[in-house]
Amino acid sequence: MSKILEIDRVTHSFGGIVAVQDCSLSLERGKITGLIGPNGSGKTTLFNLITGVHTAHSGQIRLMGRSVNNLRPSQICAQGICRTFQITRLFWEMSVLENMIVPIRHVGLRALFGASIYSDEADRAMRLLERVGLDHLRDQPARRLSFGQQKLLELAAVLMSGPDLVLLDEPASGVNPTMIRFIMNLIRNLNSEGVSFFIVEHNMHFVMELCDYVYVLDQGVEIANGTPEIIQSNPAVLEVYLGN
Amino acid sequence: MTLILRRWWPLPALILLLIFPLVFAEPYYHLLGFNVFLFATMATGWNIMGGYAGYRSLGHSAFYGLGAYAAAIAANQLGWNPLISSPILALGVAVFAMLLGWAMLRATGAAFVIASIAMLLIVRLLANNFENITGGAPGLSLPIPPWPPMLSRLPFYYYMLGVLIVAIIVSGFLRRSRFGLGLLAIRDDEGKAEMVGVNTTLYKILAFGISAYFVALGGGVWAYAQTHISPPFAFGITVGVQLILYTMLGGSGTVWGPTLGAFILVPLSDLILFQFGGSPIHLAVLGAVMMAIILFMPRGIIPSIRGWQEARAAPRATHTGALSMEDLQRMQGGKTEGGSPSEAAAAEHERP
Repeated sequence: MSKILEIDRVTHSFGGIVAVQDCSLSLERGKITGLIGPNGSGKTTLFNLITGVHTAHSGQIRLMGRSVNNLRPSQICAQGICRTFQITRLFWEMSVLENMIVPIRHVGLRALFGASIYSDEADRAMRLLERVGLDHLRDQPARRLSFGQQKLLELAAVLMSGPDLVLLDEPASGVNPTMIRFIMNLIRNLNSEGVSFFIVEHNMHFVMELCDYVYVLDQGVEIANGTPEIIQSNPAVLEVYLGN
Repeated sequence: MTLILRRWWPLPALILLLIFPLVFAEPYYHLLGFNVFLFATMATGWNIMGGYAGYRSLGHSAFYGLGAYAAAIAANQLGWNPLISSPILALGVAVFAMLLGWAMLRATGAAFVIASIAMLLIVRLLANNFENITGGAPGLSLPIPPWPPMLSRLPFYYYMLGVLIVAIIVSGFLRRSRFGLGLLAIRDDEGKAEMVGVNTTLYKILAFGISAYFVALGGGVWAYAQTHISPPFAFGITVGVQLILYTMLGGSGTVWGPTLGAFILVPLSDLILFQFGGSPIHLAVLGAVMMAIILFMPRGIIPSIRGWQEARAAPRATHTGALSMEDLQRMQGGKTEGGSPSEAAAAEHERP
């Protein structure tokens, strides 16, 4: 099994606070990997390091063997890593369909100065929107969608760039149980089509049922990793979550 | 009929503008028309950066002045007619703007606005002090246009109308292009745009250059029409403020907004000027107009009208509550059937 993402002894701090310390982990291609830990344990910082929002102070981040340390976020996205945000971020004034079009890879003059929406791309966008049940809202501005619909749109839009690896930052937070089940199924189906996932989530049921492998962070340090079964019985993890 | 009008209204409007100076033969009307087109062109340019990408420069007069000085110097030193040289020299100004933008566009929000004012003050200082090139504070005179005085401003009128048409076509083309969509994405959420693969730095620099081009072109033609330029007028901040005012009145981020704003406010400020003479009262009235826009029509005329139309057309479609029962059922359908939710919904529908 090849590694899709390798994080090699990465450290990052904000002023005096070390958010991620000497963190090493690797993701198998084609798998769903979970990342859990208490609030403030550095999960989102790690996502920001992977996607180029922050540049790691030390250590290496490699996507399929290539270093992505010094690339800007748009370049990292073009390499095949995309993400959603803990607090949903969309282009609020744009229509649902336009939100789907923006992430399509921008290369060359045709992409820059051609029509904003080519019909083949619109078809692809509509197929994805159908999958998440938003196709009937294609011309609505994104700000008019409900919270759950916004989360689905953010995920669907990210898929338009054809990523190899998708990072999801709390996909199940604030979402009703029916929708959580729907999102889990969607992730599973996409995964079976070859997309790898890296998921930060506090909903343990979600993580344990969905993920093939789980890493646990606490105060910026990786304290455990393993299959969900192993993690669930790991004393260090239980201590972090439940106290002594 | 209304559909035809909706699509083709610019055509009769253009014919009217072509006939206008022949009907109203007074030179004043030709000058007024020229000014309207000039400011509409430049506001359209400003809108590409300020409206589409959301970077509101207060210093665009810098490009106006640079265009004016470039045209004046080329006319005096090389004998180039500004009407021919301006579109070419403006390219140089646009490149210069992109170099400046490369540094300036690291700032966002208020910091960018302040940087843009600083840019204006710096080029003005340069114009004041490089006396052997720019003539210093007294400024530069340009050659008198070669056509007979009888024609007065007529050539300027038609020339600027042509430039305005080009500006609107370019602006409309950009608005519909992938590039324009990227600019709108930057306006909505720059960080997110970068994260989904838009090279925001490249987009902003390009937009800044295109935006500066039309302002510089306007400056060059203005210098020729004026026949004399000096730093306070070529690099005055009011030109930049006017561009913003017109764009905001018509509708920032729309293709026609800047033009509409200029067509309303340029004649209006002339009218006020006639009413109250040369006193600064007309500036106070413009200030009041600006406040009224911000208070009652913060998005400008065109977006406000569109908003009203939308609200009237679909008053019930604006439901923003949680997912409807129907949505949830579709999703559950998707889960149990294993297919897409819509397929499941369709299957549900076909059942007797």
